[in-house]
Amino acid sequence: MGRYITRRVLQGFLTLFLVMFLLHLLTTLAIQLNGNPAQAFFGDRTPSPSQLAAVETRYGLDDPCYDQLGNPCIGPFVERLGDYAQGDFGESLRGRPVTDIVSTAAPNTLRLFVVVTITWLAIGMTLGGIAARRRGKASDHGIRGLSILIDALPIFVLLLVYKYIFSVPLSRWAKDTFGSDSLPALLFKPSFSPQHAWATLIVPGILLGLAGSAAFIRLVRAAQLETYNADHVRTARSKGLSERHVSRHHVVRNSAIPVVTAVGIVFTEALAGAVITEGMMNIYGMGGVLWKAVQDSDVSVVIGVVTLLAAVTVVVMLVVDVVYAALDPRIRYE
Amino acid sequence: MTTDPTRDGTPVPLLQVDDLAIEFATPDGVVRAVDGLSYSVSAGRTLAIVGESGSGKSVSSLAVMGLLQQPPARIVRGSIRFGGTELLSLGQKAHRAVCGENIAMVFQDALAALNPVHTVGWQLTEALRARHGMSRRDATARAVELLDLVKVPNAKQRVKEYPHQFSGGMRQRVMIAMALSMDPEVLIADEPTTALDVTVQAQIMRLLSEIQAERQMGLILITHDMGVVANVADDVTVMYAGRAVEQASVFDIYAAPAHPYTRALLGSIPRLDQKGGGLAVIPGRPPDPTQVPAGCAFHPRCAFAEDVCRADPPPPTVSLPFDRTSACHFAEEVMNHDEH
Repeated sequence: MGRYITRRVLQGFLTLFLVMFLLHLLTTLAIQLNGNPAQAFFGDRTPSPSQLAAVETRYGLDDPCYDQLGNPCIGPFVERLGDYAQGDFGESLRGRPVTDIVSTAAPNTLRLFVVVTITWLAIGMTLGGIAARRRGKASDHGIRGLSILIDALPIFVLLLVYKYIFSVPLSRWAKDTFGSDSLPALLFKPSFSPQHAWATLIVPGILLGLAGSAAFIRLVRAAQLETYNADHVRTARSKGLSERHVSRHHVVRNSAIPVVTAVGIVFTEALAGAVITEGMMNIYGMGGVLWKAVQDSDVSVVIGVVTLLAAVTVVVMLVVDVVYAALDPRIRYE
Repeated sequence: MTTDPTRDGTPVPLLQVDDLAIEFATPDGVVRAVDGLSYSVSAGRTLAIVGESGSGKSVSSLAVMGLLQQPPARIVRGSIRFGGTELLSLGQKAHRAVCGENIAMVFQDALAALNPVHTVGWQLTEALRARHGMSRRDATARAVELLDLVKVPNAKQRVKEYPHQFSGGMRQRVMIAMALSMDPEVLIADEPTTALDVTVQAQIMRLLSEIQAERQMGLILITHDMGVVANVADDVTVMYAGRAVEQASVFDIYAAPAHPYTRALLGSIPRLDQKGGGLAVIPGRPPDPTQVPAGCAFHPRCAFAEDVCRADPPPPTVSLPFDRTSACHFAEEVMNHDEH
């Protein structure tokens, strides 16, 4: 088990390094093609050459390689790795440290992801489990139809409908009934409030989770159906155990393995959904920060945020792998 | 539940199956997998149910255990009694409660039949913990005892391991230990030695018959291996296309088979005491269950078949001397036919 985890951690570092290098190559190429982003610092004004040079130096853009199309700029990359290793992630064009931006934005995105993951698992396990148990009956067909319906409703449609049709009247009603700082009023608040980060994130998180839950419903159903017919489940039944016991300890337990794997894979998709959700619900999170940084050509922020997102993804994959090993003893010693 | 052995000389049957008929709904129509099967097992006796795959031998034992998926399966008629209780009228929940406790089953292919994600010890005592509320510590001790019983070496360590860490033979021993965990009175072993190599097969069969003799269990051995039958069985039921074609004591059936199918089966065993070229094979294949031939289902492959076999199904049981039956128009002729 220890060796398994060590190997996975090392693989994770390698992945992270490759992501950073690829990101570096792409941003370098973008700078070489589009011109110096230090220009963006001055907005409409035309800087004097000395001002421009000063800004370039400050943001590490003074290396001549940025003017040579096709140069991979290994020098600045090594420099940046060294800075990152010392905890220096650079500053945004407005002079705010990237670490500061990230430490404000990341918790909100992570909160969103927590709600999203719980929603996936709750909806997927419940509905998928019911559909598998009642295979071929009306509830099974209904749940499968529902999963297709969910697929047909992209996250921005769900959010638009929620925000403009449900959120305002619901929050007004909750405010009048329970008071403006009560939990129901915060839950249905149409936009994010940093003072009540959890409460105002729950509904958007559930909606984002709901949008991604269709795949889970179908996956859980398929995994459990397969397990219901497995020989070892028949063995368990032959011991005279109750159907509930068999279901919990043999069917759900064994079909959890593919479901956990899927969490890791779908997680990366949720990152894309988070950009939209954060934008529409005014959540100050990683998606919004990244979106704005790309628009502003804010190289340090883009690289810092994407690196962090890549690191989070690598960590999630690692956790999934470890959970996978814990769930299935057969892979521990491979 | 009665375990009364022989008080007046005749053993009381523990498990009695009467006129059992099972159908399956398939896309190609209804298939009759078992048709009019009857047998009984008494304490300390071994009944071998022999037949090719698809002959209904496994399906009938799943019905005894209440493990048939209904639908597609449907029990059309018949009765399954355990110690005087009619299992078929119990309802699935109560039926299964009898199983495990009173009737247990050893499945073929232990690798698939054991849950890969739980330790062997956990699975061995699962029923004891879930149904009898045994504590975790007692359960571990009991699991070690059970592994010792089936002669798995180093049982203390091995209860903590997972099925994939066991060899094929050891896994099958685990299956047997698991079936014994609730001290059943009847044990059904469904091809317990398929997928094992020959020496291990012999060990497993010896272990099974030792345990059976020690505990005076009724044992139902489902197999297609006539060699195994000769070694361990007391009574034999031969099945073909869902019917019991011949039922007799093991001695009688080997001495003089009274059904052409049994005869052909025995003829196809390799023997050490006879020099010879090729093995005898039964021509043709078992019938497609959706298209069982008219008349006697075995007639297209039968060396004794005459016109009557093609036209009329044989009587389900032709009674013969020594309390044996055969479903053949020419049962007596076959029995008295001298081959050697």
